[in-house]
Amino acid sequence: MAGSESMFAWLGERIKGRDSRNVFLIAPLAAFELAFFVIPFLILVRMSLNASAQAGPYQPGFTLGAYRAVFASDLYRQLVAFSFELGVAATVISVFLALFYAYAAYRADGLRKSLLLFSIILPLLTTLVVKTYAWRPLLAPRGVLNDVLLGLGVIGSPIQFAPGIVGTVIGQVYIVFPYAVLSIYSVLSTMDWDTVEAARDLGASRPRSFLEVVVPEALPGIAVATVVSFAWSVGAYAAPSQLGSGAQTTFAMEIESLMLTQFDYPTGAALSLLMLAAMLVVSLGVLRLLTGSIGGVEGV
Amino acid sequence: MSEVELSRERAEDVLFRAGYWLLFALIMLPIVVVFVTSFQRGQYLTFPPHGFSLQWYRQFFASAEWLSAVRDSVVIGVGASVLSTVLGVMGSLAVQRSDSTLARVLPPIILLPLLLPPVVIGLTLLIYFNRIGFTNTYLNIIVAHTLWATPLVFFVMQSVFARFDWDLRDAGMDLGARPSRVFYHVVLPNVRGGVLISAVVAFIVSLQEFIMAMFLKSYGVQTVPVLAWTSLQSSLTPLVSVVSTFLVAVSIIGVLVSAALMNMEWLAERL
Repeated sequence: MAGSESMFAWLGERIKGRDSRNVFLIAPLAAFELAFFVIPFLILVRMSLNASAQAGPYQPGFTLGAYRAVFASDLYRQLVAFSFELGVAATVISVFLALFYAYAAYRADGLRKSLLLFSIILPLLTTLVVKTYAWRPLLAPRGVLNDVLLGLGVIGSPIQFAPGIVGTVIGQVYIVFPYAVLSIYSVLSTMDWDTVEAARDLGASRPRSFLEVVVPEALPGIAVATVVSFAWSVGAYAAPSQLGSGAQTTFAMEIESLMLTQFDYPTGAALSLLMLAAMLVVSLGVLRLLTGSIGGVEGV
Repeated sequence: MSEVELSRERAEDVLFRAGYWLLFALIMLPIVVVFVTSFQRGQYLTFPPHGFSLQWYRQFFASAEWLSAVRDSVVIGVGASVLSTVLGVMGSLAVQRSDSTLARVLPPIILLPLLLPPVVIGLTLLIYFNRIGFTNTYLNIIVAHTLWATPLVFFVMQSVFARFDWDLRDAGMDLGARPSRVFYHVVLPNVRGGVLISAVVAFIVSLQEFIMAMFLKSYGVQTVPVLAWTSLQSSLTPLVSVVSTFLVAVSIIGVLVSAALMNMEWLAERL
């Protein structure tokens, strides 16, 4: 056939031509992503359409039963609502603090700059296990924070920060903070300090020059920081299980229980896909709000 | 500038500095807690501790369970590091000099696993590996960690290759050297630091990850953070601080090595 002949000719040209090296270089990576990311996700979608079973992880079939079960359940509605609340709270706090810290690192130089950047990179490369359990002796009812507050007379009796909502939020902010700082810092580091100087020479106060010159410059970084913090906080697992009480159950914890304890694969798959869809919608919304266009996530 | 403005500026300076040093202290606090409590005496983790001893270090080195977890972690970490460095460096090199559809579609796909909750990736791979009957725990976890480490390698190498002078490579080609020789003798010496940092970061990311590793573990094979997590479910034991101290130490060494190769700023802008 002429069609297939010309296709082979085209392929031959490709392989002989300049691009041939590139094809062989990129093929292993493309194959890996296809085999272990794209196809597994298609299987996940298929799994969510099976029926839950009494014995074994699932009953082969073709039903929306798992989705119906998720929508009908008050428990799941609460889990999802709490996950989003935690996501919003942790994101707002960490992006706000990260903007400040990234600016401090940008302005610092010499040893001070290295120290500030080190304090960001180290937690980034530290396991979530360490980042969460180490807060327990600090936030417990008889922990360090309570001792300090009682000693200062700020509170009259100990407060249970952890396990509880305060501990969960602190833990989650601590987890996403380094990512937020780096997203903003990498944008700030390309900013020309002269622009800020110019604004100040024209009479802008320092807080005003920060708000009107630095923040707009950092906006792409702030957008990335927001999306990354939000995506990670909605899917929070370690912080709420280590620092929360039963009331701080997230969808990620429920998935873990569905998959590893209850062996209900279809419901676990359906819950994950619904959550991903919701996260995607919210993230695109945030990006559009902050940057005026969709895209720009690629530079993380 | 008036007297009032000057004193206001000074107050702002003090506030600004106090603010970021306070944050700095809060960031380092958990790491201090981990380090100090690893030397504590007594069964229950307390901070500040009531006495010091090396009992938890002794217990760690006497425990077959922990030592086998260390071995599993190292095997998986090295595997994930090698695999993601090879895939990431090759892919990055290809994308750098190509504008094919694949070269444009691939980067966002590679990045996606970093933005998904690890619980979701863990569950997806668990279902997938069960379906296709691929049940070698080592390989399963190596694959999962490679999904995370590859984008880091890929984007670090993108910025390394962007600085490389491609005319040098073309010169090598024009002189008739085979592409593999050009890569080895011309490209590699110029990007060696970047490749090494990528491999170190990939190893550390794998070593520290525990959620995907928890989904994919088996009775015989589990990594150090997974075992630490499981022991924390039963009690807050200082033994976990010993393990954590080692994990943090590996990261500190990794960061210092990378910073020595490039510098801290370079690292911060690329991770």
